[in-house]
Amino acid sequence: MAAIINKKELKHIASLARLNLTEREEEKLLKDLQNILGYFNELQTLDVSGFSPMAGGTSLRNIFREDDSSKNTNLSSGVHAFPETEGGYLKIPPVFE
Amino acid sequence: MPSFDLKNLTIKKYSEGLQKKEFTALEATQAFFNFIKETDKRIGAYLSLNEENAIKESERVDLAFAKDEPLGVLAGVPLAIKDNILIKNLPATAGSRILENYTASYDAGVIQKLKSERAIFLGKTNLDEFAMGSSTENSGFHITYNPYDNQRVPGGSSGGSAAAVASDQAVASLGSDTAGSVRQPAAFCGVVGLKPTYGAVSRSGLIAMASSLDQIGPITKTVEDAAIVFDAIRGEDPLDATAAKVNYGKELLNPDFKKITKLTIGLPDEFFKKDLAKEVEEAIDKVISDLRTLKIEFKRISLPHARYALSCYYIISPAEVSANLARFDGIRYSRIKSQSSPKNLLDIYLTQRGEGFGTETKRRIILGTFVLSSGYHDAYYTKAQQVRSMVKDDFVKAFKEVDVILGPTTPTPAFKIGEKISDPLSMYLSDIFTVPVNIAGLPSISIPVRRPLEENSLPIGFQLIGKAWREADILGLGQFYEKIHQSN
Repeated sequence: MAAIINKKELKHIASLARLNLTEREEEKLLKDLQNILGYFNELQTLDVSGFSPMAGGTSLRNIFREDDSSKNTNLSSGVHAFPETEGGYLKIPPVFE
Repeated sequence: MPSFDLKNLTIKKYSEGLQKKEFTALEATQAFFNFIKETDKRIGAYLSLNEENAIKESERVDLAFAKDEPLGVLAGVPLAIKDNILIKNLPATAGSRILENYTASYDAGVIQKLKSERAIFLGKTNLDEFAMGSSTENSGFHITYNPYDNQRVPGGSSGGSAAAVASDQAVASLGSDTAGSVRQPAAFCGVVGLKPTYGAVSRSGLIAMASSLDQIGPITKTVEDAAIVFDAIRGEDPLDATAAKVNYGKELLNPDFKKITKLTIGLPDEFFKKDLAKEVEEAIDKVISDLRTLKIEFKRISLPHARYALSCYYIISPAEVSANLARFDGIRYSRIKSQSSPKNLLDIYLTQRGEGFGTETKRRIILGTFVLSSGYHDAYYTKAQQVRSMVKDDFVKAFKEVDVILGPTTPTPAFKIGEKISDPLSMYLSDIFTVPVNIAGLPSISIPVRRPLEENSLPIGFQLIGKAWREADILGLGQFYEKIHQSN
């Protein structure tokens, strides 16, 4: 588990996360992550057998509301934030080139 | 009419003053805005002000009072709201440059509730970017200064909200708490901060950081005020499936002394063995001896896995952050100004996110993406979720023996600006006592320790952790603690 993240891996993770990092940021991140991941090593020896992974913070289940399409929260209100629009639709560069 | 004095004003006192016609809501609101403008250059609590709307609303409240309309205790009360909580048509930056042009398109659930109470919103307060941080130094805009010592941080991430209340720039405020972000700044600024049980308060309209841990909570001058605000904002919400419908009884606002003093308080070994600053240790000792005068029973307990909560948190939370912040692509919520001719869509994402997010935000997104990535997912993320079950189980076991758990809120008082900013791990360690509570989803309140203040004394807070849905216990106990020193 004592993973040491290297520069190649960091670049890969950054591209997955759609983040541009400067050279300096990469250097600092590698150092920081080394320390942080090193701190996590304390979990390595911890015996967690018998404990199910706790997914989420609530024990509530099946919380439903009426399938009511007439209730619209803010259909047109996000549009003011679009940088470019055409006919009320968001306009962006092509997804595929 | 005596002139309006906004110093040391509680919700209770304010409401009584309005009822007795000692001042009008309009006068009060104007006084607050004048005071904020005088003082915020040196405190930096606010990111934006809501003057025009607040003045109009205060006039409407005055009219309603004049007509003898039924009004609650929060009517006309000036509040400050953390800038990751949406108020329709006001800016909501979450302390981030990537949202510097965003105006909220709807009201958060808690805001809708406070609007129906006719509360007044003075403005939006400063925070660590996307609520990630323990000092408010990660804000994309400016830092906030601790009102007690301008060389020190107010704490974070709700530093602006805590500083506003502590410096009388607002009667009360709302913050959000994911690892201590309401309680720690409250402790550093000498005010009260409540983190409700996970699910007690709706997260609709709270810009999500870690969805399984976030909760909105009040920051106030007294425990009674915290109870009032909590009662107003709690409850289920059709827009938040995790917000539960819970019947809180009258005890929430009217604690019974006999019942409360029969509660047993647990003192976890692990919270006292740690490296506590000497003044924190002494302060907590004083709290315990004060509470003993109420003839309350104490019991030593153990939370053997609480020490792993920090690692557990810093795996789970960045993982959730990496997912929640994926939506900020520089397009959806108004593009930041820097980019004029992007090459293509991917270029927009990489550049906007690269420039729009600050260092800590990027650090956590990278960490979260890493622990969720193929090859590491089981070793880190799944394991952390299992550790989470263990930590929660520790509390379940402890609460079979005791009703409330007491401990320090933070290992030290407020640290100096710049002291921890270049060492993220040392910053994370300041959450060591607050984070197990979020991991377990329990309610907890930080209350300022009442102690004789020497010159240059900094505020210190202690924590009361309750069983799930037992805010009444910790609010009640807190109120009786405050009453011990009423005459001081």
